[in-house]
Amino acid sequence: MLAGLLLAALAPPARADALDEVRARGALRYGSDMEGGGPYAFPDPDSPRSVAGFEVEIMDRLARELGAGVRAEFAQGQWDKLLWVLDSGRYDVVVNGYEWSPIRAEDYLATRPYYIYQLQLMGPKGTPARAWGDLKRPKPDGSPWTVAVLTASAADDFAHDENAGTTRVVRFDGATDAMMAVQNGQYDFTLQDGPAATYYGDEFPGLEAVGPPVSRGYYVVYARKSDPALRDALDAGIGRLAASGELRRILEKYGIWNDLQVGLATAFQGPIDAPPVRQADRGWKLVRHYGDRLRDAALVTLGLSFGAMPLAMAIGLAVALGRMYGPGPLRPALGAYVELIRGTPLMLQLYVLFFLLKLDPWVAGIAGLAINYSAYEAEIYRAGLQAVPRGQMEAALALGMSRSQALRRVIVPQAVRIVIPPVSNDFIALFKDTSVCSVVTLIELTKEYSILANSTRAVVEFATATAAIYLAMSLPLSWFARWSERRLGAEGAKGGLA
Amino acid sequence: MIEVEGLVKRFGAVEVLRGVDLSVGRGEVACLIGPSGSGKSTFLRCLNGLERFQGGRVAIGDAVLDAGQSPREHAKAARRACRRMGMVFQGFNLFVHQTVLQNVIEAPVHVLGMGRDEAVERARGLLDRVGMLHRLDARPRELSGGQQQRVAIARALAMGPEVMLFDEPTSALDPKMTAEVLGVMTDLARDGQTMIVVTHAMGFARKVATIVHVFGEGLIVESGPPDRIFDAPAHDATRSLLSEVQAA
Ligand SMILES: Nc1ncnc2c1ncn2[C@@H]1O[C@H](COP(=O)(O)OP(=O)(O)O)[C@@H](O)[C@H]1O
Ligand SMILES: [Mg+2]
Repeated sequence: MLAGLLLAALAPPARADALDEVRARGALRYGSDMEGGGPYAFPDPDSPRSVAGFEVEIMDRLARELGAGVRAEFAQGQWDKLLWVLDSGRYDVVVNGYEWSPIRAEDYLATRPYYIYQLQLMGPKGTPARAWGDLKRPKPDGSPWTVAVLTASAADDFAHDENAGTTRVVRFDGATDAMMAVQNGQYDFTLQDGPAATYYGDEFPGLEAVGPPVSRGYYVVYARKSDPALRDALDAGIGRLAASGELRRILEKYGIWNDLQVGLATAFQGPIDAPPVRQADRGWKLVRHYGDRLRDAALVTLGLSFGAMPLAMAIGLAVALGRMYGPGPLRPALGAYVELIRGTPLMLQLYVLFFLLKLDPWVAGIAGLAINYSAYEAEIYRAGLQAVPRGQMEAALALGMSRSQALRRVIVPQAVRIVIPPVSNDFIALFKDTSVCSVVTLIELTKEYSILANSTRAVVEFATATAAIYLAMSLPLSWFARWSERRLGAEGAKGGLA
Repeated sequence: MIEVEGLVKRFGAVEVLRGVDLSVGRGEVACLIGPSGSGKSTFLRCLNGLERFQGGRVAIGDAVLDAGQSPREHAKAARRACRRMGMVFQGFNLFVHQTVLQNVIEAPVHVLGMGRDEAVERARGLLDRVGMLHRLDARPRELSGGQQQRVAIARALAMGPEVMLFDEPTSALDPKMTAEVLGVMTDLARDGQTMIVVTHAMGFARKVATIVHVFGEGLIVESGPPDRIFDAPAHDATRSLLSEVQAA
């Protein structure tokens, strides 16, 4: 999000068309995301440190069309941010299953298509549904059909537009994540770009294609507005590859050639015409227009944070007490728990809860955050417990309290006071970490920002609004932390005489 | 009422108590004196079970601590012993998150299960006795050391202990506060409270003790009425201890 702001602020300097640069450099750099997977661009199984994919091969051929000795260079980026990075000039074009859309065509130059895709509905083997149209009738039990899609993809848009009130769209960060969740039985269907459905069909034997493909769109290469010569050269190159049959050979190699692709050579004489400039809303109006979505996403962030943090604090306290006062064998076990949880990324933990244990997204999200943070809270509590002078425990025991009573009545209440400031700090961090929950399909504030900024291109406005919402949520916590720290300082954590 | 037989305590290889025998009768005020490091604190902590020990036994009524007990048995016996003994520490150890009143009613309410009103009533009486009734709602950090120690005495008394253990209760205090605290202890002794007092305040020992035990290197080297110990010490260790105190 900040990146968006920065990139927008550092407008690219005026300069000559990138085509000259590419030729001088001898390399055409294209932005793509390997995480999107096959058949587009993915780690080459035969040589895992390089990339394979039909787009990679197309770009290799296209680069040569730009001049003798020009090579194509793959540049890794995050899929939904590829165009922003294009603005920054780190690479020359974007190629990664990016469909032609009027909104993008307003801000970028597109070539003619190198692929004509359709969307394929996939469901568990033996599903009674036979076509997308079947989803427009209510599910027998009255609940909506759930359709898993890749966030901000053409399938996402299509599923929303074609929703007859009988479907619920669930957004995933990866195409294969959506397929896995459907194969797991967590959702009813997934709607996928045809090439991905074809390519991964074998890897998900529990899934089958449902009905004929729907919709239609074009994968194109995007260049900056300032580089018309580069775009024209690439566009002509695609035309030549299509006419010579070379394009067909590459697509066949990846098993994604079909009759529709005949149109690549016959139906296009150049770039797809840009639409008349629409009088669509821009800027701050958009923020107001989508305000409700930002608010809902902020509520998801709040729900995750306030659901997870109390749990994390409770688990953390229990772990810390167990490690310090529990029976012998429990101590190393809890120590191992802390190290395991702290030593592995939150995202992996969420994957386990969601895809392996198949928990509901909210349960997985809250449990994942709570477990992850519990390890950090446990260490904070441990320090807090150790900071309580020994004499406090001895005085409690000397008064006839049991150990557990002494912990409950004397030690823990003092430790809690000591840890309030660091725990509040962690709470603020947790607010922002909730963004990882987009991997379990929860659209919280950061994800919603990303979706809206991408689909509307009002990057700066949405980034500002999102940052403001985060601040509004975390400032009260900061104030509380600072206030409690001051109070604690006044109360004197140690008191008396140690 | 307290019988200690052959108490042996080791920290690792170091033998800190080397077979201490001691008995304290009802109403007695036993003062323990001895050089620093001779094992006086450790001895008191063994009496109420804060420390386990490796040999001997301690009996106070039906609470019996024995070197042969399992950790679990020891913890149970220690709790019984703690019900019968109150302890006052050199560092006061008031619960810093509670007010004066809360400190004093904490154990009666949560250990004895006494009703809150009754506990408050008793706490007021005890705090009056130690001259702290006017600071009921103060936090420990707002009190002087002498005031904290007097509250700590009231807190221990609130459990109605048969015996009060004092571990150098005035060592952290200046002379004026020392006098306050010793005054309270003198009153207690006069009221017939059984007490075991580890102290360097020889004036107090001479005036209040019924018997003085001299510790040296993990043993009681000499015992007797205060006048005899202070005026005609029989043991070298006692003589050098007394000359040190006089020099100080
Ligand atoms: N927890 C402990 N671990 C190891 N040694 C200890 C511990 N507590 C006391 N000691 C040692 O035991 C000896 C007696 O200590 P203590 O009972 O405090 O003596 P006193 O109260 O007479 O000054 C000292 O040498 C001291 O260093
Ligand atoms: Mg001592």
